[in-house]
Amino acid sequence: MASMRNLILMAAVLAVLLIVPPFLGLGWQNALVNILIASLFALAFNLLSGQAGLLSFGHAAYFGMGAFATLHLMLAVEDGLGFPTPLLPLAGALAGLVVGLVAGYFSTMRSGVYFALVTLAFAELFHSLTPHLQGLFGGESGISSMRMPWQGIIFGSVLEVYYLTLGWVMLSILVLWAYTRTPFGRLTLAIRDNEQRVRFLGYNAHTAKMVIFAISAMFTGVAGALQAISNETANYALFGSQISAQVVLQTFVGGATIFFGPVVGAVSFTLFAYLVSDLTRSWLFYQGLIFVLVMLYAPAGIGGVVQHHMRSLRRADWTGLAKPYALAALGALLVGSAVIYLTETVAVLFGEEYSVNLRNAAGAYPGYHLFGLSWSPVSPLTWLVPLVLAGVGAVLLFKVRGTIAAKWEAMGRPETESTKAPDAAKLKGGAA
Amino acid sequence: MNKFAALAAVSTLAFCANAAQADPLKIGIIESLSGAQTSSGRLYATAVQYSVDKINAAGGFNGEDIQVVEYDNAGGATGAADKFKQAVADGVDIVIQGASSAIGGQITEDVRKHNLRNPGNEMIFINVGGEAMELTGDKCQFYHFRYTTTAPMRVNALVSAMKEAGDLGTKVFSINQNYSWGQDMQSAIESAAQDGGFEVVDAVLHDVNKIQDFAPFVARIKSSGATTVMTGNWSNDLLLLMKATGDAGLDVTFGTAYLDQPGNIANAGETALGHYIANNYDNTAGDASFAEDYKAVTGQNPIFVEPQTIFAIGALGQALEGLDFGGGAVDVTKIALALEDVTYESPVGPITVRKEDHQTIRPVVVSKVVKDAKYPADDTSMGFQSVGVVSGEDAIYPVQDSCQMKRPN
Amino acid sequence: MEFAIISTLNGVTYGLLLFMVSAGLTLIFGMMGVLNFAHASFYMLGAYVAYAVSSIFGFWAGLIVAPIVVGLTGMVVERYLLRRVHAHGHAHELLLTFGLAMIIEEMIKLFFGDFPVNYQMPDYLRFSAFSVYGTDYPFFRLFIGATAVVMFALLWGLLTRTRTGIVVRAAERLPSMAEALGHNIPIVFMCVFGAGAALAGLAGAVAGAFYPTNPNMGLELGVIVFVVVVVGGLGSLKGSLLASLIIGLFSSFAVGLDWSVASILDLVGLGGWAHSIGGLLTLELSSVSATIPFALMLIVLLVRPAGLMGERN
Repeated sequence: MASMRNLILMAAVLAVLLIVPPFLGLGWQNALVNILIASLFALAFNLLSGQAGLLSFGHAAYFGMGAFATLHLMLAVEDGLGFPTPLLPLAGALAGLVVGLVAGYFSTMRSGVYFALVTLAFAELFHSLTPHLQGLFGGESGISSMRMPWQGIIFGSVLEVYYLTLGWVMLSILVLWAYTRTPFGRLTLAIRDNEQRVRFLGYNAHTAKMVIFAISAMFTGVAGALQAISNETANYALFGSQISAQVVLQTFVGGATIFFGPVVGAVSFTLFAYLVSDLTRSWLFYQGLIFVLVMLYAPAGIGGVVQHHMRSLRRADWTGLAKPYALAALGALLVGSAVIYLTETVAVLFGEEYSVNLRNAAGAYPGYHLFGLSWSPVSPLTWLVPLVLAGVGAVLLFKVRGTIAAKWEAMGRPETESTKAPDAAKLKGGAA
Repeated sequence: MNKFAALAAVSTLAFCANAAQADPLKIGIIESLSGAQTSSGRLYATAVQYSVDKINAAGGFNGEDIQVVEYDNAGGATGAADKFKQAVADGVDIVIQGASSAIGGQITEDVRKHNLRNPGNEMIFINVGGEAMELTGDKCQFYHFRYTTTAPMRVNALVSAMKEAGDLGTKVFSINQNYSWGQDMQSAIESAAQDGGFEVVDAVLHDVNKIQDFAPFVARIKSSGATTVMTGNWSNDLLLLMKATGDAGLDVTFGTAYLDQPGNIANAGETALGHYIANNYDNTAGDASFAEDYKAVTGQNPIFVEPQTIFAIGALGQALEGLDFGGGAVDVTKIALALEDVTYESPVGPITVRKEDHQTIRPVVVSKVVKDAKYPADDTSMGFQSVGVVSGEDAIYPVQDSCQMKRPN
Repeated sequence: MEFAIISTLNGVTYGLLLFMVSAGLTLIFGMMGVLNFAHASFYMLGAYVAYAVSSIFGFWAGLIVAPIVVGLTGMVVERYLLRRVHAHGHAHELLLTFGLAMIIEEMIKLFFGDFPVNYQMPDYLRFSAFSVYGTDYPFFRLFIGATAVVMFALLWGLLTRTRTGIVVRAAERLPSMAEALGHNIPIVFMCVFGAGAALAGLAGAVAGAFYPTNPNMGLELGVIVFVVVVVGGLGSLKGSLLASLIIGLFSSFAVGLDWSVASILDLVGLGGWAHSIGGLLTLELSSVSATIPFALMLIVLLVRPAGLMGERN
């Protein structure tokens, strides 16, 4: 029953992804391409971190390798190699797989924090070495190429790139999903939950982990390849820690324990960046804040919260929950506005422009514009607004929290609690 | 050659010949507005806004105000590629970037491909700070204009001015960042040796903005016996290098390209005194009205990359003056052609575009850090005093062989 | 010889600075098993707090207030943030500190802007301590080094010679047993985290006056500090000291050495072949000096994950 529902849901999403984009503007088409790539990257990353419980801090290495391999193939196509453009991501997959096998062989010799550090070291090694290898990685400016026409398709417009990306991402997601259904997919989960038992059952845990690592790197390579195709360029910054960090953030905000959790994270972060990054200079601050809040209050991520509710769809007393939920949303909205208000106010008051005005005003505190209104830093109203917002919001949240918890308690917990961290056992430190 | 054939095929196949554009001219600044290079990116954006406001105050263009849109490339080429697409979606006609040669390389390629695929709907890239030679060499193209100097222009000006002042010496140490710009600087320094009458006693390329402690490099400078250090370093790499030199009590004169980056003088302190910089402009070189006007509007003297950005937009404004699209579609190619013919009178001399590679022929100002300066930097009493202006004709170098520009028919 | 002596001096002071930052990190890891990604941010926070305080109350006030403020911040982080996610495992603790690092960096940009701030040592400290082969050796370098040495001695004494140290070490080895003996383990953890953060804060306050204080200083030092802690052995104070010195000396000497694989092959007559291949073979040591620490870290992790001085393998 549930799987039927999921199937319909997915078919609907796919239909929307197929039909709607031609009617969207170029900006949204681009955003969708980025969302698709980020989703695949996060899913591939999560195969390792969520399903196998191996937290990697250096997945940028395989993303970058996929991108560079694809660009080199594109350059060859430009020079007359008869390779069909739609199959370019195969180069990324191959590069990811090969590099992943080597890096995976070494990384998976360690576990826990030490594993994370090995992956970090690999990525940093690439990041610091690649700009010196002019021939392969094009130095600081990187290498660029152009998508060549194939069978009458020009691949010049964003829409064509979108459909190419969509095809590859859907195919990859399908394979990744099917993977979880195979015996090896089950073994992956078993390694996470109890590696020792897997070993006692006669499996070579190291080889298995290496293969999982390589598969994850392979799909990461495909994501890198798709980005290379979309941007027609790559430089060594792709190996940077920011790229590795972004995928960790997205995956864990979305929820590492659920298959589609990382997609939720990737979609929300990419959308957030698309909509907010040109709006405020503090968008990275908000992004960090959201991440920390999710880690604190919803350790299983947004996906985890959604799943928790989906599981109790039938049992839960929704009418009873509706009111406290609405109040909680209101509280969160109030506190959120207060935070945004304060952040933007600080950004203005400590900004360069204001310090100039301050100097010109000779001693007085000049007013400023924010959110379409005029404010004065010395007026009590300016500081009362966030105080009241935050105060009321906090009281609301605090009150409602108990009510919600009590209601859920009364309904009984669903069979498996989604807030259980899978990798708790894995990251106790200590290199086995 | 194959490449060109393929590109031609693409351009003929390109289906989008939609020439109709929105009426207002749109300028997109694709800069590093977050991340490590924010400080530079912000300055370019401020300067563009200042200059566009001037054009708009004088009536704008095509019956409308010129619009400026800021895009945050997050400090990387990937981010820039992404924001470029957004700029295309927003109907931007002219893209501006300056903070990085790597990003400049990315944008010029993006513009080239866009123009191939969308004939009749072209875009221009005005490069106000990317100084890598390849941008007017391998990657040169008709729709890219470089409104700043390059390594040989800066080095040659430095060498002649420092030699005249008797501060050049015969032993020069070259220290640069290991990427296109730094490599350009190193080869420019090496090729200036003969005319400058000095010997490059040692040359070193190091990692970009990663080194915490430059004392080891100072030890190397010391053991080389150099009296002059020439460097294209910027940001931390310059600051730390100068500080370490000052701390070691090493008596060398620096010839730099980016000493006027805000924060540098304050951080280097007394160490900075007596060192040279070759730049596009200095407040003490031209007549004061430019600096005064800028200060009246923004509250600070124009510094670092701001002047060159203002000159670029000024030149653009001049090009626009001669054009009239009658409120209809903006023809970007016509703007580019007009820009080629503009002679912009900057406070330090005329700036023109060399048609072969779209490098600007422009004066280079060499200045020295002095005490009690007329235009103090960073709230200190120190500042820059110009010691010489090298005219555009003297500063320019021949067109690079690698530049094969395809002009529009 | 001249180059060697000067490079050694430089390398040792830089190494000692690295030690100052990594001491707190290794302490926290050794005690609590938390790999604190925000540690370098505490270092940066220290520099900025010291800058803000010193611009009003003078340099020494900044030096004293910064570690206290950063230490208190660390205690709050441990008590109200880390402890909350402790139940979800070390991965979540690590991710949380990771998010914190982002927040701290952005907060600093919000308040102090993107440019380096003008945080300077007082002029009376700006003199040369001595001179070797005509190169001055700034006193402040000695000051940084001395601070690190004193810090090491104090920490070492505190942990091995005092009752507090015994409790702390007991809490590390057998937390439940120490708790059963009546020690308040959560408080111990909070204090250790606070102390670790304070050390980073102190390092920031001292080093920020010598090196530029800018919003990237945490980022720049962050990864190299991980290298130090890993190479020295996670949790080992002595190991950190040793590794800091090794990396400090290495980065100091690498600058002057134009060695490459090709130049070594030259010795056996294969240089021409190596130059024709190019790529990795002709890269000079001085230009890849930033890469070597990561290679070292990788090798240590793979060959001897306990590091040079770590106990657990």
